[in-house]
Amino acid sequence: MRVMSAQLAPVSATSVPEGTDLVEWYYERGYSDGLPVVPPTPAKVAAMLEALGGEPQQLEARVPPRWGGLTREVLAINMVMAGCRPEYAPVVRAAMLALCETAFNLNGVQATTHMASPLLVVNGPIARRIGMNAGCNAFGSGNRANATIGRAIRLILLNVGGGWPGDLDKSTLGHPGKYTYAVAENEELGLLAPYHVEKGFQAGDSTVFVMAAEPPHSVTNHVANDPQGILDSIVSAMSTFAHNNAVSSGHCAVVLGPEHATTISKAGWKRHDVKQYLWTNAHNTFGQVAFNHRYGKVYNRSLPVWYGRELDSRIPVVPSAENIHLFVIGGEAGRFSAFIPGWGHMSSPVLREIEGKGGPAAAGPRCVDGTCYL
Amino acid sequence: MHDGFSLESLGVPTAVIVTSTFVHEARVQREALGMQGIVPVVIDHPLSSISDEEIRGRAAQALAQVIGVWRGTQPDPA
Amino acid sequence: MIQVYDPRGVVGAEKKAIAARVTALDGLRLGILDNTKWNANKLLRELRDQLKAAHPLAEVHYYRKESFSKFAAPELIEEIRRDNDIVVTAIGD
Repeated sequence: MRVMSAQLAPVSATSVPEGTDLVEWYYERGYSDGLPVVPPTPAKVAAMLEALGGEPQQLEARVPPRWGGLTREVLAINMVMAGCRPEYAPVVRAAMLALCETAFNLNGVQATTHMASPLLVVNGPIARRIGMNAGCNAFGSGNRANATIGRAIRLILLNVGGGWPGDLDKSTLGHPGKYTYAVAENEELGLLAPYHVEKGFQAGDSTVFVMAAEPPHSVTNHVANDPQGILDSIVSAMSTFAHNNAVSSGHCAVVLGPEHATTISKAGWKRHDVKQYLWTNAHNTFGQVAFNHRYGKVYNRSLPVWYGRELDSRIPVVPSAENIHLFVIGGEAGRFSAFIPGWGHMSSPVLREIEGKGGPAAAGPRCVDGTCYL
Repeated sequence: MHDGFSLESLGVPTAVIVTSTFVHEARVQREALGMQGIVPVVIDHPLSSISDEEIRGRAAQALAQVIGVWRGTQPDPA
Repeated sequence: MIQVYDPRGVVGAEKKAIAARVTALDGLRLGILDNTKWNANKLLRELRDQLKAAHPLAEVHYYRKESFSKFAAPELIEEIRRDNDIVVTAIGD
């Protein structure tokens, strides 16, 4: 739900006696993701609010399924609790606005029994400026920006959105990304065009990409010295009927580690080539996703009508190469990549400019006729 | 729940069927939407993995409740 | 005293009333909205048959959402509103 220029009442100011253990207090109130939060102080909240442009009662979004009002003040409070620095504020706000766009269907993502959790990938100059990690261990720990930006999003989904496990969040298993799941693309190495440029933004624009995602599935290939060999390993990871895309369609992501991306880039392959190769080769048979009709005849209305419904019909893992969101991320040593399945057709990833209008740059995509496959 | 809210807002009495595990969420959603008057119809969980015979039973379980919702006589289970 | 903060934000929706109720089902147009979750269609078809057997409905219309998880498209909601007097929808599970 998007609300323009609305104002809400400030959060009620409460105080506790000096000497109260604040970390425990926030735990006891049920405002924590399980880890200790940073107790907000007036100074920290003010600094965060200033980074957001002031106007504490300005409503940025309502967060489902509770539809709590995410005012700038509430956004600031959660960011401080997460341990964010004020310069991360534009990223967290843009991410929340992207998540609350109708197409993302945050209501569904919050409530589902599937383990999907929002994955955030940041592109453009802001990533480097605020010190995000796009290199070694990007999906791991040790970087304040990655850790706290992802955590702020989760705290908001919990506190404002009400997505508490066992309550409105019905995820059967959950996954570690529900603590934090935020990275930046490794644009510095210049191996492939950046993701946001492929989608029509200028390199100097900064963007957030959000997708409801399973954890990354590691793809190891220490042998191939050509694009096909490396991509065949990724195809292998994609061609299983265990992940949600297989039975629920939708979008997925593929992350190329820099060593793999170097091999691919040196062979002259572009983003388009990689995505098309993956899409053309990754497949299941319809029989696999229908369990060979063992439990009754299956049609599966979640899959596009044009998929074959014979047992031996070869069906794609996602409906098009454009449903594969490709990123170069990680450290320069190690021949690894990753496949990141999505939730399904029920949610669409969202790409949004940070502090912008939302949508590709005004100049529009420059490669509409395929003349510059990026 | 949201579709029921939309239709009720437009003047159409709408019976929303949920399974028993969903009742809590139904309560939260109607409160968040500001429409406390929505009375959900509740059938036993699960629906997805049961036999056709059991589905017939669920329909029978829902029948009187659905009519009650349209008439305004159905007590609130949530 | 030390200040503490509430990170939850306010849930504030203006209260909305439900539609007026009906007294009898005779001669009414029934709309059935299937959200396409597993077995919702079977449940709703059963219910439809039981309703038709017990009440003289004027018309019955069956609608399917394009995605079980998203809200129904505004055009679909408007079509349902226009062509029906009462609606049943399933399934929230």
